[in-house]
Amino acid sequence: MRFVSLAYKNLFRRPVRFGLTVAGIALAVAVAVSLAGFNIGYQEAIERSIDRLGFQVMIMAKGCPYEAATMMLKGGTGLLYLPSETYETVKADPNIQSITPVFIGIAEKEITSIRDDSGSAYAIVAGVEVDSYREMKPWLDFETEKGFEGGRWFDENSEDELVMGYEAATYEQRKVGDTFMATIWPNGRVDPLVKQFRIVGVLKRTGTQDDGTVYLPLKAAQKFFNRPDELTILGIKLEEFSGSKLQEFESRWLKLPEVQVVSLEQVKGTLVMLIGTAQAMIAAVAVIAIVVAIIGVINTILMSVYERTGEIGIMKAIGAFRGDIFQLIWLETLAVCILGALAGSVLAMVGSSLVEVAIKALIDIGVSGSIVTITWDILAWAIAGALVIGFFAGLYPAWRAASMMPIDAIREGIG
Amino acid sequence: MNSSNAVIMEARDLKRHYRRGSEIVKAVDGIDLDIHGGEMISILGPSGSGKTTLIHLLSCLDSPTEGTLSVMGTPVAGLTEDQLTGIRRGTLGFVFQKFYLLPTLTVAENVELPLMFYRQPVSRAATMEILRMVGLEDRASHLPKELSGGQMQRVAIARALIVRPKILIADEPTGNLDSENGHAIFELFRSLVREHGITVLVTTHNLALGYQADRIVTLQDGRVLQEEKGPKAYQQVH
Repeated sequence: MRFVSLAYKNLFRRPVRFGLTVAGIALAVAVAVSLAGFNIGYQEAIERSIDRLGFQVMIMAKGCPYEAATMMLKGGTGLLYLPSETYETVKADPNIQSITPVFIGIAEKEITSIRDDSGSAYAIVAGVEVDSYREMKPWLDFETEKGFEGGRWFDENSEDELVMGYEAATYEQRKVGDTFMATIWPNGRVDPLVKQFRIVGVLKRTGTQDDGTVYLPLKAAQKFFNRPDELTILGIKLEEFSGSKLQEFESRWLKLPEVQVVSLEQVKGTLVMLIGTAQAMIAAVAVIAIVVAIIGVINTILMSVYERTGEIGIMKAIGAFRGDIFQLIWLETLAVCILGALAGSVLAMVGSSLVEVAIKALIDIGVSGSIVTITWDILAWAIAGALVIGFFAGLYPAWRAASMMPIDAIREGIG
Repeated sequence: MNSSNAVIMEARDLKRHYRRGSEIVKAVDGIDLDIHGGEMISILGPSGSGKTTLIHLLSCLDSPTEGTLSVMGTPVAGLTEDQLTGIRRGTLGFVFQKFYLLPTLTVAENVELPLMFYRQPVSRAATMEILRMVGLEDRASHLPKELSGGQMQRVAIARALIVRPKILIADEPTGNLDSENGHAIFELFRSLVREHGITVLVTTHNLALGYQADRIVTLQDGRVLQEEKGPKAYQQVH
């Protein structure tokens, strides 16, 4: 018999109470692990989504730059436009490695949609110049699975061909060669334009907003939305991307009226900051859960000590030193915390997808893809944290037990 | 006097007074007692006579307010709790009215518990030998809840014996047992004295059991009322 195995066996004397205490620790650890996983996963998701935009810098019409950037990531309304001539002007900048003009509009698709829920009523339509757009996003490729074979980009001068992102196509159950009808409200006109397109290609999944986008030739999109000389953004890659070069670039082009230059690094930081409030609230809940769990552990172990007063007296009578009793009770506390941490880690790993769904339902996170990443490091920290909690939570009950005089303990136990 | 009946515990003018409200309670009030190796002593007396207090003092579980006590020649006055534990280790074994078996441990594990505190290796063969001595060798893997009261007290006795104590101290060991089991426990004590030379010091309310000892010390109001030789006194009563 060793102290560890005795401590472990003692825990199961009151299985319900022990189970509830472990559950309390497990819940606190699961919340903490999920929060840490969300912090890491969300940062990664933002970086992944922004990196997959392909741009380092955007030039767009003046307004809220972050709303525009968020729109680029996840779609939205309230679009602002800048004159097309800006593209020709900025293109000449010597620091630009590549630039692509993008026109974005929102079209109604309910006429053709097989879905009738409101969430499916609109499609993000992006008018792009294929060559420069592909240079910006070289990873874009066409899906080749059954029904999607033979995909290609549209003809630049076509007005009835389009390319769909993977999710847009699968949501609408469209394949290459199918038709897609959209209702567009041209700028300044009362009557809508109902237009039928032929799908000439479906892009492979990228894990970004591109998956939900419908692509048209730039000129066709500008024409249908009746904004022939306007663009939504200019996506830009610089020859050298650094703080000073970006500042130089900004100062050169901010002189243009009604134009703003937005670095996607700034956007990353802002998106992280926007979610910070929600993270702080979740962290507060985690801290409260941990404090409650610690109190629960101390209470449980103290109750257990008082219930076993006579037994502790006997152990002292038959040869246990104060240190032995301290060690025994302290090990019991540590065991509760370690078991709670292990259960909480498993709970967090199993439940991370549910946490992700819940977070996405509660908060507009602005990115696509997985936002909870639970790493081995997080789990190791959680277990180490539980050990530290157990270390301190066990001190008082262990000290109380060790301080009992054997004769008093035996007398109380008999009473 | 040979070495087996040399004095191994010596109490002189032993007192244990304590305050209860404004009253001073003289639980033990000047007791002189010599305990020899290999004898069985019963401490008798009515409730409140000081039996349990005296036995706690002799067990080094409590400290006297006055007087001296030496165990195996070592004076115990003024020792710290851990020093008293050191005195108890290997010298004294304890059996109480409540058995205090750990419910999650088997009979064998309960018996081996003191060895964990002694940091001594466990020998299952030695455990089985002790269990055989108390008649429970076939219950080694049972949990306490599967035993009768008499069997649980035997486990408690085995737990006390596993460290080979020189003195076995039993405070009301038959208090929770029926008459048959009470007699069996006392018979076991007698065999420990007779066959293993262990000194047994026992308190009891039961005169018939108490008079089975070699020596009977009767207490009243914290003092020794009379001291008698056992078997002779036992025969006189019956």
